[in-house]
Amino acid sequence: MGAYIVRRTLWAILLLLVVSFLTFVIFNVFPSADPAALRAGRNATPALIEQIRRNLGLSKPFYTQYWIYLKGLLEHFNLGYSYYNTESVKSEIFSRLPATISVTVGGFVAWMLIGIPVGIISAIKPRSLLDRIMMGGSLVAISAPVYFLGLVSLFLFAQGTGVLQWAGAAGSYVPITQNPGTWFNSLILAWLTLAAAFAAFYARMTRGNLIEVMHEDYIRTARAKGLRESVVITKHGLRAALTPIVTMAGMDIGLLLGGAILTEIVFNIPGIGRYAYDAIVNADLPAIQGTVLFGAFFIVFANLVVDILYAFLDPRVTYG
Amino acid sequence: MRRRNAVVVGLAAGALVLVAAGFSSGGKTSGAQGKKGGTITMLSNGDVDHIDPGQAYYQFTYAITYITQRPLLAYKPNSVTPIPDLAASMPTVSANGLTVTVHIKHGIKFSPPVNREVTSADVKYAMERGFDSAVANGYASAYFGDLVGAPTTPQNKVPNISGIQTPNKYTIVFKLTKPSGVFVGALQEPLTAPVPASYARKYDKGTASSYGNWQVATGPYMIQNNAAGKITGYAPGRQIVLVRNPNWNPKTSWRPAYADKIVIKEGFDPTVGTKQILSGSADVNGDFPPPAAELKSITSNSSQKSELEFTATSGSRYIALNTRKPPFNKLLVRQAVAYVLDRNAMRLTRGGPIDGKIATHFISPDFGPVGFNQAGGLTFNPFPSAGGSGDVAKAMALMKKAGYKSGKYSGPQVTQVADNSPPGSNTAAVVANSLAKIGFNVKTISVQHAAMYTRFCNVPKNEPNICPNVGWLADFHEPQTLLDPTFNGKNIIPTNNSNWPLLNDPAINKLMDKAELELNPETRYKEWGQIDDMITKTAAAIPWIWETSPTLYSTKVTHASELWNGGEPDMSFMSVK
Repeated sequence: MGAYIVRRTLWAILLLLVVSFLTFVIFNVFPSADPAALRAGRNATPALIEQIRRNLGLSKPFYTQYWIYLKGLLEHFNLGYSYYNTESVKSEIFSRLPATISVTVGGFVAWMLIGIPVGIISAIKPRSLLDRIMMGGSLVAISAPVYFLGLVSLFLFAQGTGVLQWAGAAGSYVPITQNPGTWFNSLILAWLTLAAAFAAFYARMTRGNLIEVMHEDYIRTARAKGLRESVVITKHGLRAALTPIVTMAGMDIGLLLGGAILTEIVFNIPGIGRYAYDAIVNADLPAIQGTVLFGAFFIVFANLVVDILYAFLDPRVTYG
Repeated sequence: MRRRNAVVVGLAAGALVLVAAGFSSGGKTSGAQGKKGGTITMLSNGDVDHIDPGQAYYQFTYAITYITQRPLLAYKPNSVTPIPDLAASMPTVSANGLTVTVHIKHGIKFSPPVNREVTSADVKYAMERGFDSAVANGYASAYFGDLVGAPTTPQNKVPNISGIQTPNKYTIVFKLTKPSGVFVGALQEPLTAPVPASYARKYDKGTASSYGNWQVATGPYMIQNNAAGKITGYAPGRQIVLVRNPNWNPKTSWRPAYADKIVIKEGFDPTVGTKQILSGSADVNGDFPPPAAELKSITSNSSQKSELEFTATSGSRYIALNTRKPPFNKLLVRQAVAYVLDRNAMRLTRGGPIDGKIATHFISPDFGPVGFNQAGGLTFNPFPSAGGSGDVAKAMALMKKAGYKSGKYSGPQVTQVADNSPPGSNTAAVVANSLAKIGFNVKTISVQHAAMYTRFCNVPKNEPNICPNVGWLADFHEPQTLLDPTFNGKNIIPTNNSNWPLLNDPAINKLMDKAELELNPETRYKEWGQIDDMITKTAAAIPWIWETSPTLYSTKVTHASELWNGGEPDMSFMSVK
């Protein structure tokens, strides 16, 4: 197991390097805005723009720029400084990390707490009215884009904009350390919005897997042994049915991050997703690079954790 | 100057008149009757361009800069006429126009931790640092480049400009190399707001100044800071908190500064932000206009309608035709395009009549006697058509004259580089459809808005045949700031070029060069009006809208739109009811 983790970690580092290099190439090769010209403003002279370009290190060939970036990253864990406002990208990402963790972890918990129980209930009562309502609802949730669902939820339930005013308003986020009640209230709609499509998909997947597993021979054997149905479902059926779901969850965390960008924009949560969006609008390469690396790291790490968890969930899996 | 955000509807800059049927400021702009105290909350979609007042060059940022800093001159909210702010009186100009003298007020102090009185040397340093590439002010060369000793190339340190002299603590004398019709007007730019050299110099070192994060204020408000002077009230992209400047003396200022605190909350979706203002949980919009659907709803609601103000702009949107490349190097072909263009359909892509009048030339109606009337006002329209929808017959007649026997273009495909998102992408589609009526096959390359400018339309060697999504705002109410950077041949530069049609007409250039030096306002405005007419007739660029900008106030606050600044609210004049 130890050797496996080391090997995977090395691959993860290589992957992160490739991601950072590709981001650099995309920014330099494709027609994005000129950061020096944006920084200088409309009345600036070409000489001033050139000077700013030199100050920002943009006049060097892109591979030299990449090498300088990489050196700073590896030697000092320096993600550079924003072209737009000269703030440290590392400081910005870390100051926004709690908000993004709040959104994604809460979204993940909501997704699992809704998706898996709904899937189990539907699987136990297939083709019942409850099953049809839940599966029909899940189709709606899968089809609704995060941005649309977020706005609808704000206009229905949020303070300041909603008809019912049950939940916190857009832009009302505060850190959990400041006021846990307000923190929860400000995020509840964001969690449900972010989780909706995932929960719906996982409900359908859990239902399908569980129905299939419940027809396996070993389930029949368990029933024949006289075990209670709840034990058969939870101990024998669910364990097998959930194994592919855990794998999928690891991969979908990346998609969750993508959804978190939109969720942070709609609900105005000052997280890394919002930062990434602003960076793209402002052609702010260091900020784009930092957020892409952060996202890539998060996905790689989540996949590594899932692969390790896999071994515990499925005894047939071993690592050499 | 950068425009207020263009999310769905249009935007704007300064103005004299309020337009759009049924709307007015209705005398709501607060005067001396406001109530002291309370907090005003502004919502914005994005962030300021730069928090440093020496770098700021954006309407939304100015709404904050002008209430925290005191330039030599400034504006009351409902005016486009600059009046003394830090200055004790209006500047005096010598008979030959080469010396401008300004006296500054006594007893104006910097906010903590500096706490000392402002002197003329602080104004000198503030203007000089604008020429340092670590600050890289975007307009220093354009407006203050005629100062004796002003650097002609970017500097790696704050230069000493011999043409800025401080004979005593309260007098500043500007020596110019040639007379300038706009120099006095430019003294309202925030670059003239004082910066204490002894305090700021250490932050101005290096390749990028960090003074913005340690700035001190002279206005009624300051960005919240700690005892060391570090700004704590600014979280980029999140929030800006303004508190009262304890060293501001109301006796030296005409700003009432009613509210105790101002909070600018950033990152708001325009629709959500609009609804929050309507509900009263926030007070006013900053960089975004309410989206078109919301505007329609508000304008049809009698109680909400009165909370909305439309401010005319100081500029226009136009399409630029590349005069260096065929087929638009031919005057007749360009004029045919000016006739066939469906300007009404273009306006509909940004919200329709509520967004402003169809433009027929470049100086916008808000300039009034400052060039607009002299250009012919609303009656000057060299390419008329019914409802602004285009005149195909006249266009085809001009194409025939240009050598296209069928009246339709028969040459190779032409290219336009346009925004990749609405409303700009829709406007570009209308341009392509209009041109198709006289035979043009227009290929559209769609890119991000900033890339459209910085990689294509601003770079002559990369410039396509058409740039359909360009426009220009005046920095202040002098027609020169509207027409000179954009149409004078001498301003065609290899990068960051704003003369998008690449117009280089000797007669126009000559008259512009003359008008730039003209100190007599009447003569100057007459000349710029004439220049506007000449440019419009070249059809090198075709204006299509004089925009208005909507500002929405909650019922909890009084209104105070900055007519000089595209309708941005002047929060020092707003009060909590």
